[in-house]
Amino acid sequence: MNINKSNPLLLHPLNKWMKKKKWFWFPHQIETFQHVRSGSDVVVFAPTGAGKTLTGFINPIDDLIKLKKFKGLHTLYISPLKSLANDIVRNLEKPIKELDLNISFQVRTGDTTPYKKQKQKQKPPNILITTPESLALLNSYENAKEFFHNLKYIIIDEIHTFLDNKRADLLSLNIERLQTFSPNLQRIGLSATLKNKQDAKKWLCRKKPKIVSYENSVLPKIKILESKERIPWSGHMATYSINEIYKEIMQSKLTIIFVNTRAQAEYMFKNLWLINKKKLKIAVHHGSLEKNLRLKVENNLSKGLVDCVVATSSLELGLDYGDVEKIIQVGAPKGINRLLQRVGRSNHNLNTPSKAILVPTNRFEFIEAIAAIEEIKKNNLDKIDLKEGSFDVVAQHIFATACAGQFEINDLYKEIIKAYPYKKLKLNDFKQLINLIQDGGYVLKNYDQFKRIFQLRENKNIYKLVNRRETRKYRMNVGTIIESPMLKIKLGTKTLGNIEEVFIQNLSQGDSFIFAGQMLEFQSMKNNLVQVKRSKSLISKIPSYSGGRMPLSTNLANSVRGLLAKSNMWDLYPEQITEWLKRQKNASKIPKKDEYLVEQFPRKKNFYTVIYTFAGWHANQTLGFLLLRGFKEFNYKPLGFVANDYAIVLWSLKEVKQIKTILNLGLLNKHLDNYLEETSIVKRLFRDNAIISCLIERRLPGMEKTGKQVLFSSDLIYTVLKKNEPDHILLKSSYEDAKKNMIDYDRLKEILKKIDKKIILKKLTSISPLAVPIILEINRENLSKKETDEYILEDLENEILKEANVLSIN
Amino acid sequence: MYYQLINFGNEEFHAYPDKSLYWKRLNTLIVSDLHIGKSISYAKNKQFLPPYDTKEILNKIFVSLDKIKPSNLIIVGDLLHDVFSTLSLKDQDHKNLSQYMKNTDFIWIKGNHDKNIQIEGFKNFTNYKIDKLLFTHIPIETSLFQICGHYHPKVKISHRGKTIFKTCFIHNEKIFILPSFGILTGGLDIHSKQISDVLGKNNLSIYPVGQDKVYKL
Repeated sequence: MNINKSNPLLLHPLNKWMKKKKWFWFPHQIETFQHVRSGSDVVVFAPTGAGKTLTGFINPIDDLIKLKKFKGLHTLYISPLKSLANDIVRNLEKPIKELDLNISFQVRTGDTTPYKKQKQKQKPPNILITTPESLALLNSYENAKEFFHNLKYIIIDEIHTFLDNKRADLLSLNIERLQTFSPNLQRIGLSATLKNKQDAKKWLCRKKPKIVSYENSVLPKIKILESKERIPWSGHMATYSINEIYKEIMQSKLTIIFVNTRAQAEYMFKNLWLINKKKLKIAVHHGSLEKNLRLKVENNLSKGLVDCVVATSSLELGLDYGDVEKIIQVGAPKGINRLLQRVGRSNHNLNTPSKAILVPTNRFEFIEAIAAIEEIKKNNLDKIDLKEGSFDVVAQHIFATACAGQFEINDLYKEIIKAYPYKKLKLNDFKQLINLIQDGGYVLKNYDQFKRIFQLRENKNIYKLVNRRETRKYRMNVGTIIESPMLKIKLGTKTLGNIEEVFIQNLSQGDSFIFAGQMLEFQSMKNNLVQVKRSKSLISKIPSYSGGRMPLSTNLANSVRGLLAKSNMWDLYPEQITEWLKRQKNASKIPKKDEYLVEQFPRKKNFYTVIYTFAGWHANQTLGFLLLRGFKEFNYKPLGFVANDYAIVLWSLKEVKQIKTILNLGLLNKHLDNYLEETSIVKRLFRDNAIISCLIERRLPGMEKTGKQVLFSSDLIYTVLKKNEPDHILLKSSYEDAKKNMIDYDRLKEILKKIDKKIILKKLTSISPLAVPIILEINRENLSKKETDEYILEDLENEILKEANVLSIN
Repeated sequence: MYYQLINFGNEEFHAYPDKSLYWKRLNTLIVSDLHIGKSISYAKNKQFLPPYDTKEILNKIFVSLDKIKPSNLIIVGDLLHDVFSTLSLKDQDHKNLSQYMKNTDFIWIKGNHDKNIQIEGFKNFTNYKIDKLLFTHIPIETSLFQICGHYHPKVKISHRGKTIFKTCFIHNEKIFILPSFGILTGGLDIHSKQISDVLGKNNLSIYPVGQDKVYKL
């Protein structure tokens, strides 16, 4: 590497260590050093392996050595994961110890012992490595100002993982708090390569904002698994290719197989195990596994003691597993960034390309895989949409502020709107959130004597906590990550991990399922522990796990549409795919890149309408519900619909004659509110909102609530609130969350705005080749929860009555 | 409103989806576990539930009284959640209550939650006997048929791969348990030890409460 002789880092305290290691300073490290030294807030974009962590610490270490024996906290390092935080400490330890630098550094996360935490508060280290949640907690202590008043730098690692979720909101509010405590504080963000770098800069930087970017010129080598087997029309389990996947594992030293859901992970693991004739060491890793099991797998992985790990996104971030030779992605990539992140887990060396194999599990996924490879070649990344700040996080922050001491509301408001996500927060909404923390913020004032915070008599703008005991409740509730209700699984006395309560409820004694790679038999559930034993059964239910379904990114969707339209490229695909597309062209039509194909045909007494939107699963699901209502209005007697990432199919008793009149922006405006009312989406998000805003408690010392009980009571609150106070700030907040996250409102709106001029309507006599995959997905019921409940009761009653041979009473 | 016919203790009852029980022969309406003022009681511990439960429960009762016009209203315990609950009864609520008391005899059987609380104009009892039926909050040792509350029974139904929980009316040969008439009240699985100890496990008649209808299992 060509290093300028005037490189200022040659005088850096770490230079000696770098020289000894025969390492060179990267240009982006020099650039960052100079910008930060001249007072800029900086975001650094660089791929893994480009010394990102070190880049963040260059200025702090330089500064600390110059200041000599600096007392107190100097630099704060925020990591998205606890495990990553520990890894950072290990990396930092090496140069500091070897050079015998007089710099103290420690980690502080949820795993740090109370004793250590206490000591840290009394005698803070120079560098503290922590997580957003632990930072929020630190800011809620009465001596927070004292603790942070000399803070010089805050480093946000993997900043790209924070930008589009509620953790980002929490972090942004706490960074502004630190800035208030220590006005000279400088911010350094470290990020993987991003498409919209400017957005990350806007989010983080205040002082002379600067972007430093280093692009990797070595492209990863990605190919699609060449399979002799027939690629299935639909499905997500890749059973067809299991032998070929096994062959790939055998051929390389260490492989990580990434899948998209935890259920897929268990399934893939089980299937590999069944054909594991060579006795390869294969492990499984996902977020529901017990921490110790996960750590064991991670440890074996870094020491190279396994041949293959099947993993979900749980292994996407963080630790450097140097020996991983190959990545296999099973299932659709869903997004470019995500695929790159996963592919980057192999060969953590800048000069050798990462190697990856994609295994599409069905035909649409095959096209998606080709598209993803194309876009990576063009370096066309997905955009990460910054989210507007959520109300519930502000409420939690207000509570935290009150725990730290009395506060003036105008000062707090001014501080909050400095945070990028809350630039547009209205004073009126903010005041409602103050009221929410004070007494629930209801219009009906019943709780005057029970308030949590109160206004000082001499100054109504100053609020104070009524009782210090409340700080404890805040600390139990901190954070924005809400898991769905989970139960612990016990095999004998050993804990295997956590499983969704909903899944267990559907099991009867003796049913078997796969978890942690083992076939287990459900025995009993007592005191929220699921007791299991090993099972010899071959038939299993796979843990369902609600989370983890990522919609197809807009970027990749556009690329898929582009590929479909380019018929001159088809011959490059495997014959089955080419054949499939050619037949579609003859039987119906292949839509152009900006066209929306709608096919209609009769099948088995019903009338089918298939719309190819490529809008991603969330948006399509929403559109399906809206169209059901639209069809009902026109009296087409719709019976149901199924959506996937690419299309929606609806079936009805009558022919849908005026699809063009129904399918437009009016549909969204007319039916969206009704849709939100009827499904449980808002209700579920209300639960998260109620917990995050501390309206209800997650858990309390001594009265450990089960997840179920929290869910139950938040449902009741939701129902009562909607009836009596539909304008309540938390309902508003839940609706906003629903629109933003669950239903992809903006994406749907964009499509519906332009769709009516671009519809290509094909009336067919029978099903088209392109429609086959989605038609095969029709086997689920798509009724709302309320309807489902009534349906189950009705059906069960009828069945019993039939059995008893009596007639219904009503 | 649809009702479900229930035979218990050689008498006929109508179970309504609003979780009330009607004894036609004696024109008597029976409800249980209203837990009025539960929200206030939680607010004490800084859990701020929507303060509308009292209003809603009273409205529900009034709607039912208007429609059925019973001679008697028996409340099988836990009318109030605790001592603080009376705070949520406003002047207008008291006025409305006394208005209804002109045509209906209110019989308030004390439960574990409200045994030490008084409300002006309410007659209260530890239990109440009519013919061979005994109304009591928690079942006692007796040869009489008993109609009780207290347990907020809820039934788990697994059918065609789906599982739901529903509030229910439930009885065996001698003991009948009403669901909670309240708004912010949770429920207890009928297979829990507490309920099994009272009803046993066999020969149970279970009536889950649906949206507009009471079902029979």
